[in-house]
Amino acid sequence: MAEPAMSLNADPLQAAVDDHIYFSKEGSSGGRSFAGGGCGCN
Amino acid sequence: MQLKAKAPPAMPGLRRMLATAATGLLAGAHAQAQEPPAEVPTTTIDTGLLYYHENGRVSAIEPDFNLTQQIDDNSTLSLGFTVDSVTGPTPLGAVPSTLPQSYVHPYKVIPLGTPVTVTTASGGSVVTLVPPATGATTQTLSATRTVPPNTYPLDTTFKDLRYAANAGWQQVLGAGVTVNGGLAYSKEHDYRSESVNFGVSKDLNQHNTTLNAGVNYESDLSFPLGGTPTPLTVMSGDWKGPDASRSEVDAVLGLTQVMTRRWISSLSYSYSESHGYQNDPYKIISVVDPVSGQPVSQLYENRPGVRQKQSLYLENKVHLSRDIVEFDLRGYRDDWGIKSVTADLRYRYMLPGNAYLEPHARYYQQGAANFFDYYLVGGQPLPQYASADTRLAKFRALTYGLKFGMPLDENSEFNIRIEYYDQSGDGSPAFAIGQLRQQNLFPALTAVTVLLGYSYAF
Repeated sequence: MAEPAMSLNADPLQAAVDDHIYFSKEGSSGGRSFAGGGCGCN
Repeated sequence: MQLKAKAPPAMPGLRRMLATAATGLLAGAHAQAQEPPAEVPTTTIDTGLLYYHENGRVSAIEPDFNLTQQIDDNSTLSLGFTVDSVTGPTPLGAVPSTLPQSYVHPYKVIPLGTPVTVTTASGGSVVTLVPPATGATTQTLSATRTVPPNTYPLDTTFKDLRYAANAGWQQVLGAGVTVNGGLAYSKEHDYRSESVNFGVSKDLNQHNTTLNAGVNYESDLSFPLGGTPTPLTVMSGDWKGPDASRSEVDAVLGLTQVMTRRWISSLSYSYSESHGYQNDPYKIISVVDPVSGQPVSQLYENRPGVRQKQSLYLENKVHLSRDIVEFDLRGYRDDWGIKSVTADLRYRYMLPGNAYLEPHARYYQQGAANFFDYYLVGGQPLPQYASADTRLAKFRALTYGLKFGMPLDENSEFNIRIEYYDQSGDGSPAFAIGQLRQQNLFPALTAVTVLLGYSYAF
């Protein structure tokens, strides 16, 4: 449990990339953290 | 439920620092097991390069850079910077036809009397001069594109370059209380976003329970190329209205619990409310003949000016004897009528030398917004709101991926992830009229992403 890989957001960069992709392609977003820097994506 | 510290991991510096960065970037801190004191790096650089490619649609290249600096035992600064370059065809929202179709949009404003030598624009459009109004000192160039018969209408001129930056601060106050705050900014050629966030977390039960709360305020400005169109008016090459703004407030409440020595779980509730301009200024919706189904006009879309969103997010991580399993669930609904469920599964299979393989699968399903229509029918009263943006339609999406990571030395790690995204909806609705019965109104969207990552701590 002490391993950092057990942190619930062990890879924030990957999570931010995923959130941005799904935000721009799907009708729902968010849930675990603030998106931050929203955009008018296509 | 006191946890016993395990032997230090093979890469104590980098991994511990990444975990600190992860905690700082979340809206609130999560419960974590206590660790023994150790020498840790004070700086972590986390970089990524994303290549995203849709089949027949847009492609994007996105370099990402994150810096986390531990100021002292209780203070952590984080900085992030991203550039997002996107280009390629994107759906207009119009329906295909058995006949050729023409689409027009404002291209450029020039002083009255300026000689016009441009005859084509990017994407193969034909540029024409819009006759100026009486007394005008400027006039507009418009770009017209022709879509061949039986072809899903796409905007082939789309390209964008987005810059985004964020800064955050995390401060441990003592007695199990941690606060964090941050700023975020992004800018495109037609959109700007600014936001500020604040969060607080409280550890309880010997660090096995964490409560967290956070708020975020976002202010956006939309300044579309060609101006902001009046909703539900006919598509034209005329210059449109002034910039449009939008604001959003988000709030998150979370509970993180160490369930057993090997299982940590977190439940978050989010509420979001936005006001202002929510339209996509480039999206149109076709009005079709009630018998033939042929488009007779194209209108700019219109969405409600208020949106309230709620979601419930459940995260789980379980450490097996060697590997790690992560399973997340999200339920979502908003007052536009969209309901969705998301299930996400990752399995980290540990290899010798602390390398790992991580297969990933994600299932997503959403219902349609109550103002989504593939098209409007001529001769009927116009609805108050209407959009043919398929992101607001009913569909499902599947993601499959595989990630490989390996430490390069004690302080650095390289990883690569490849994923495939497949989104599909109902392209042949039973109510389709005339020629629309032979068209695909929701072509499948597939995309491949490749994400390279490199982290270094010192």
